[in-house]
Amino acid sequence: MGELFQEAILVSILAGMIRIATPILFAAIGELVTQRAGIWNMGVEGTMLMGAFTAYFIATATGSVWLAVLAAMIAGALVGLIIAFMTVTMRVDHFITGLGINLLVAGLTLYWFRMYIKGRAQPTFDGFDNVAIPGLSAIPFIGEILFDQRLLTYMAFAAVPAVWYLLYRTRWGLELRCLGENPKALDIKGLSVSARQYAAVLFGSVMTGLGGGFLMLGFSDRFLADITAGRGWLAIVALIAGNWMPRGVLAAVLVFALLESVATHVQVLGIDVPHQIFLALPYLASILLLMGLRRQSRQPQRLGIPYFR
Amino acid sequence: MTSIERDTPAPRPVTRIRIEPRVNRKPLWTFAMYLAATLFGLLLSALLVWTSGADVIKAFSALLNGAFGSQKAIIASLAKATPLILTGLATVVAFRAQVWSIGQEGQVYAGAMGAYTGYLLFAGLPPALFVSAIVLCGIIGGAVLGALAAILKDRFDVNEIISTVMMNYLIVFLLSWLIGGGPWTEVSTSVVYQQTGPIGEAAHLPALMGSGKLHLGFAFALVSALVCYVVLEKTPLGYEIRALGYNPVALAYRGTNIGRTIILVMILSGAVAGLAGVSEIFGTAHRLRSDTLFNLGYTGIIIGMIGGLRPLGTVAAGIVFGGLSSGALYMKLLAQVPASLVPAMEGILMLTFLCAGVAARYKIVRVKTDG
Repeated sequence: MGELFQEAILVSILAGMIRIATPILFAAIGELVTQRAGIWNMGVEGTMLMGAFTAYFIATATGSVWLAVLAAMIAGALVGLIIAFMTVTMRVDHFITGLGINLLVAGLTLYWFRMYIKGRAQPTFDGFDNVAIPGLSAIPFIGEILFDQRLLTYMAFAAVPAVWYLLYRTRWGLELRCLGENPKALDIKGLSVSARQYAAVLFGSVMTGLGGGFLMLGFSDRFLADITAGRGWLAIVALIAGNWMPRGVLAAVLVFALLESVATHVQVLGIDVPHQIFLALPYLASILLLMGLRRQSRQPQRLGIPYFR
Repeated sequence: MTSIERDTPAPRPVTRIRIEPRVNRKPLWTFAMYLAATLFGLLLSALLVWTSGADVIKAFSALLNGAFGSQKAIIASLAKATPLILTGLATVVAFRAQVWSIGQEGQVYAGAMGAYTGYLLFAGLPPALFVSAIVLCGIIGGAVLGALAAILKDRFDVNEIISTVMMNYLIVFLLSWLIGGGPWTEVSTSVVYQQTGPIGEAAHLPALMGSGKLHLGFAFALVSALVCYVVLEKTPLGYEIRALGYNPVALAYRGTNIGRTIILVMILSGAVAGLAGVSEIFGTAHRLRSDTLFNLGYTGIIIGMIGGLRPLGTVAAGIVFGGLSSGALYMKLLAQVPASLVPAMEGILMLTFLCAGVAARYKIVRVKTDG
């Protein structure tokens, strides 16, 4: 193995990491906002799956990937609306709501998918191409990894500082963080708790739907049942592991993405072990991560507790 | 703040609608809410069929006929209900303690894998003993995985939802390796089918009611329901489980070891879910493969929730949904509607039932307030 070959593999693994991180990052950063508002949304996996299916449906039906992205965001918003209605208005237990959403979407997407492809070959679509950033992408090594990616990937990474600014430097963010710590304070000030929680859930769900859409359009040309394969759950783990802070969440997402990227390169690397071991690594890593963390001080105080006046 | 700053004249009484918790739950109101949830859920399901361009009446009548239309259909439905009742009961045990385990899926796999290990280890025992050993190994397999999640929660404060989801994926990867290239892979074929070879007849769960699809697993399901009912309602452990759900702080003051209770809950829950895996592999499929086990655990969550987290309600819900998934094949043939309508219906009904459960606990009152 030449040195050049080794460097090429390293670039490929790291560029893969950035790409694989994209959908999880969208979901995790969106969910960060939802959870800081006190909603323990366990329906991320389902929301993401709905985004992915909608993106597939629109991409194959219209041929436009950007329309598909938009549709995935709208689908995410609709699922978010159900989640918000159940957790904020009906005050159903947050965990149970999320589980219900995941099961509902798994059933619905499978049904719609079977209906859609009934009696014909499964239609495919052309996904996203890379958009190299002029100048920056010419930097050796780093340019190839960071600046020759899909357009939405740049957006996902830009969302991290944007959400940080939103949460910590705006009045809206202050109120939102207050929802997770002490919603009564907002209520007494005469500010609507429900409206803000709806907004936070919708924001998270739109981002998650977008992540699902990217998963569909950026990696594949056809839909499969359970295509999200636990990525929504990884987003939640990243949130806990990242201590509900934008920087930490980003780091945790990158760790998961690196493990998955290595798994996809096992054959190239010539390692002779069952590929299932590498597929299992992100899930194993999440359990170990959570074991090492124990209770976190940054977890919003009122996370998952329905607010009663 | 606003009401002070505003320049308000004398307060005027206004009639407002408010939602208040009920002090006593009225059975009739509760029943009405669940009936409404069922009807609304069915309406949404019908809408789903209608929007996808199929004949609603034809689809639903085929579904119902396929489920409960003849004695043969009923027996097939009970066979389908067997693993669902078991995973539903596993949900009941955990959720009653407010331990939100969704590890039933993985525990079903672990049960099947434990039982298959027993099948390989104890070959040659006398038939009755052989089957008992296999069943016991399956129960242990599920229970161990359940206990693992409980220990992670108790010792390391790992959220049980997340740990169980992660373990669900891990166990599926483990099985996928064992039967797709690992030591349990069927050897006779040149193509790897992701399955073990057929299981010897000596290890099959005996059929109930003469021949047919129904096997000993159904009896296990009914006995498990009875055991869960007795444990939850009639024993000190059951009292602790229910108290853990209502008020863990009070339970701790009483001197109960909460960690121990959670571990017991998860062992029981895992054992019952493991039994579902044993029953599906050794009673129905007669070889270990992953697609026969897929989704049984997640469906069990819906069954348990719709059964009102009560063992007997879960048996009823299991039979209804077992019937639907059995009837779905007829529906697919007669009305050209995909069988996956049933999981979609399950999801819809779960959400409407959740809302009904909340609505049953509250009442709408009109109150007169000042301004």
